[in-house]
Amino acid sequence: MIRKLVIPEELGESIEVRLLDWLRAEGEAVKVGDALLEFETDKAIVLVTAMQPGSLRRCFFGPGDWMKPGDVAAWLSDQPDEPLLASHEAPDDTLMVAFDAT
Amino acid sequence: MSRLFFREAIARAIAEEMERDPRVILLGQDIAAHGGSYAETRGLFERFGPSRVRNTPVAEAVTVGLAAGAAAAGLRPLAFITYIDFLMLGLDPLVNYAAKLRFKSAGQLSAPMVVKATAGAKGQGPTHAQSLDSWLMNVPGLTVLAPSTAGDAYGLLKTAMRAPGPVVFIDHKRLFPLGGVVPDAEELIPVGSAAVRREGRHVTLVAHSYMSLVSLEAAKQLAAAGIEADVIDLRSLWPIDWGTLANSARGTGHALFIEEGQEVCGVGAELAFGLQERVPGLRVARLGTRRTPVSASPVLEAYAIPSAQRIAQSALQLLARNRSVETAQGSL
Repeated sequence: MIRKLVIPEELGESIEVRLLDWLRAEGEAVKVGDALLEFETDKAIVLVTAMQPGSLRRCFFGPGDWMKPGDVAAWLSDQPDEPLLASHEAPDDTLMVAFDAT
Repeated sequence: MSRLFFREAIARAIAEEMERDPRVILLGQDIAAHGGSYAETRGLFERFGPSRVRNTPVAEAVTVGLAAGAAAAGLRPLAFITYIDFLMLGLDPLVNYAAKLRFKSAGQLSAPMVVKATAGAKGQGPTHAQSLDSWLMNVPGLTVLAPSTAGDAYGLLKTAMRAPGPVVFIDHKRLFPLGGVVPDAEELIPVGSAAVRREGRHVTLVAHSYMSLVSLEAAKQLAAAGIEADVIDLRSLWPIDWGTLANSARGTGHALFIEEGQEVCGVGAELAFGLQERVPGLRVARLGTRRTPVSASPVLEAYAIPSAQRIAQSALQLLARNRSVETAQGSL
């Protein structure tokens, strides 16, 4: 199954965040508890950690890019070689992640 | 051009001015090691040291009084007021001393200081939510600036920090979570220069600070109803860019003034009167926060302050009112 990694809506509507860096590369396997990426809000640095295993397949933003709550930051797949969807098709399922702000 | 957080644009403007002019000092609550209430002084304490980046107590009269005295003695202080509500405590040194000093001394003394104060409602209740912009416009000798974008915050703060007399630089809690484009090369924005954010021929929407962004949203709603709005972001509340306002108002014949402060004796009241003097026949309306303290409840807060929908409705009412007047005249 292909899953989307979503920037949390709970951050609020009128906010933008900046991607600092990916901590895994496209194609790499991800275990529960692995850190995936860091982004920055106006006040905090947020570390995003995977809460289910998979493979990071495609990243849609790069370091320094701006994102909004609700944006799909990446696709992951349960199996490393699952065929990806055509780019216009968004996966329905969302990867479970944890967000830690410092 | 770079895209920066609003706070980063402010920090960059301050850092550049501190490099340029050793007389610039910073005074405010939590601005030193903590990096500012809105993280807008992050890095400045480490870079410029404790003699130029000074924490002050929770005592705004002291902060503004220190700034006014230091300015009169030859420094260029920038004082931070975390909530503009508490600038009330600092109004005596700002209004009675700093704003009057050049006039009282026939120009021999001046107080080249900036008070940066954060206005607006964002869930923090009645005494941490006000917009006192029109109070400050009322004071001769004060320059009052209120940007709505990161780029304007950068350019206007630099201008403020070189100004000959006291400037109040008003920002807004809801602007800090946003990013915006800031020029890579140094670029100052002169006082008294409004920006046309959108062009339209039916009605002029005039706003400043965060309400400029809400007004742009309203303009989109109006466009869907076939009404094209000019949206003017004042940027400078004093001096006022009457030229830009009059140009737009002559084209549309209708002006709606939007503010987060109170309508009574508000920015809109002043601008509507002044613009009608300059553009005969102009039809005006104004929209501000409802006549109530702003609640900490998000539901009541949203009810009190102007929304894009209320702005669009007010614009439609202004246009409809005039059509009915014309119809009535036509039937006489």
